[in-house]
Amino acid sequence: MASLAARNGGSRRDQRPLKKRLADASAPYLYSAPALILIVTVMLVPLVLGISYAFRDIQLLNPFSGGFIGLDHFKTLSQDQNFYRALKNTLWWTGWSVLLQFVFGLILALLLDKPFYGRAIVQALVFLPWAVPSFLAGLNWAWLFNPVVGPIPHWLFALGLMSEPYNILSDPQLSMWGPIIANVWWGIPFFAITLLAALQAIPRDLYEAASIDGAGPVQRFISITLPFLAPTIAITVLLRTVWISNFADLIIVMTNGGPADRSQIVASYIFTQAFKRLDFGYASAIALVLLVLLITYSMLIVVLRQWLLSKD
Amino acid sequence: MASIDIAAIHKSYGIHPVLHGIDLEIKDGEFVVLVGPSGCGKSTLLRMIAGLEAVTDGEIRIDGKRVNDLAPKDRDIAMVFQSYALYPHMSVAKNMSYSLRLRKTAKEKIASVVASAATKLGLDPLMERRPKALSGGQRQRVAMGRAIVREPKAFLFDEPLSNLDARLREQMRAEIKKLHQDLGATSIYVTHDQIEAMTLADRIVAMHGGIIQQVGSPLELYDNPANLFVAGFIGSPGMNFFEGRYLATGDTANFALTGGIVLPLGGTAKLADGSRATLGIRPEHVILGAEGPDTMMATVDLVEPTGFGIIVHLKLGPVAFKAFTLDRRFLGMHGEVAVKLPVPNLHFFNEEGRKV
Ligand SMILES: Nc1ncnc2c1ncn2[C@@H]1O[C@H](COP(=O)(O)OP(=O)(O)OP(=O)(O)O)[C@@H](O)[C@H]1O
Ligand SMILES: [Mg+2]
Repeated sequence: MASLAARNGGSRRDQRPLKKRLADASAPYLYSAPALILIVTVMLVPLVLGISYAFRDIQLLNPFSGGFIGLDHFKTLSQDQNFYRALKNTLWWTGWSVLLQFVFGLILALLLDKPFYGRAIVQALVFLPWAVPSFLAGLNWAWLFNPVVGPIPHWLFALGLMSEPYNILSDPQLSMWGPIIANVWWGIPFFAITLLAALQAIPRDLYEAASIDGAGPVQRFISITLPFLAPTIAITVLLRTVWISNFADLIIVMTNGGPADRSQIVASYIFTQAFKRLDFGYASAIALVLLVLLITYSMLIVVLRQWLLSKD
Repeated sequence: MASIDIAAIHKSYGIHPVLHGIDLEIKDGEFVVLVGPSGCGKSTLLRMIAGLEAVTDGEIRIDGKRVNDLAPKDRDIAMVFQSYALYPHMSVAKNMSYSLRLRKTAKEKIASVVASAATKLGLDPLMERRPKALSGGQRQRVAMGRAIVREPKAFLFDEPLSNLDARLREQMRAEIKKLHQDLGATSIYVTHDQIEAMTLADRIVAMHGGIIQQVGSPLELYDNPANLFVAGFIGSPGMNFFEGRYLATGDTANFALTGGIVLPLGGTAKLADGSRATLGIRPEHVILGAEGPDTMMATVDLVEPTGFGIIVHLKLGPVAFKAFTLDRRFLGMHGEVAVKLPVPNLHFFNEEGRKV
């Protein structure tokens, strides 16, 4: 019965007038068109426009700019020492920030995993830095490092780590560390909370079985905790790496890339080019390079993940 | 192999007492089964022996040595968990050899011990699999294998078979018994299952409300329960209880049920005349279709064939009780039947619930 009906339906469809057939075929596209148009406008148009800037001479203060200049920006960029320094700084900034955030976040998560009195309150407090707006955190740390209003230089001086209380943000050798420390403080909760959630999902009886099997705390950590955390660690570290390498707020607020571009990362360099020197074309060219680098990195990660999954 | 002494053990979680003074001596090589209703503290006691729970008061000795403050890893005991607690990221072989690797045992020794345990448990073809690729029964075997490779001083089992289906449970039960006969290791086994307790145990420890009710061989507990709790807990279908008053009238006493019916006892018990008491009889001891003196007429409520035998639900006035018989004549029974409660099989419990 059913197949008969379907066959009848099929033969009847062929006999419909052309107009009706066209209308039927296009209906799904017409229904989804508004959403598609919206998505394309919101996502793709700015991206394409931004990319097109990279090949044009766009300077806000120069009314005669705007012409197509091909790869000129990229030629300049390949000789721009500041850009290479910013690239190196980006590695430095991302590497240390992620590493320290992860290590402290993991330690904090392990501590919070043990039951103690008032744990719920402490867990809530740990979230606090995450809730502070990044520019506020940056300002706050900038003041803390400032010997005129902040205590940190005086403490370091008292400990004998500094010959005199000065601002490390104005020291070309050390200025990068100011934003890194602020970033670590700001980003620990992210790792602590995600790792804590993963820790609490580990069945307790595995630890009990391991301790009966003869494992001490360190061996239990290595043979149970780490394998269970590994997927979470991989994902969070990778996501944070992309996020932090793009994250210029703290640097802009605390050092503005200075002194003498010593704490400039690529993202803050783009910001400086675009909004200080108002050279949108050049900024877009740098942004395009950063985009390509991050996409390459992300693809590597995806491939790595696939490989790890297939191995298991 | 070792003996385990448990002396005046108390356990409280915060202010909630769970165990109230447990005394138990387990001899070297003995198989002891802990039974009791849910929440009576069996797992707690087992975990204290393993070192997973702190002892609130009292002393645990393994081989005469006090272990209260010893970490689990230093007690040299093995435990099989209800959930099996297999390491999910390790293969079966790695799971089984984990304890030996931690002890830095020689590679060849590990290989031979694990291989022989695997053969014993029929795990040979599965050694490279992860636990998630195993069936429940296979996981159970791996958990057993992980325990036996170490040749520990004692085995602790916390309801190891309760996640298996009935057929598999029967099979594993026999295997555990065989393993125990082979290894002769001291074992403490927690279970809910009557049959597991009866078939495996050298001695059964019946617990209730954090107190040991009776310790003895399976048949001792079955034939001679020390109190109402043990009488009711051991055996399936459970013992019948009749509450009432004991009336001594010379040589043949009577038992007046609360409902008003008087049972002729045809003998006497060590109870004071007129005292409240409980009379117990196992369903298989109730004689159906009895003749002669001291029989009573009971109403048939329900007949349950189990295949092996027949459980008959009866009513004596308002008092319900059960009889168990192998005689298939009673399958189609209805109406009234003459029953007899033979005196040698009666159990009397005084007002405090103690057997007299
Ligand atoms: N960590 C804990 N904190 C507080 N109370 C607990 C804790 N663990 C167990 N208890 C309580 O101790 C009592 C005994 O628990 P236990 O797990 O020993 O029971 P059990 O005899 O093993 O029961 P079951 O047969 O259901 O496994 C229970 O009343 C339980 O609520
Ligand atoms: Mg239990």
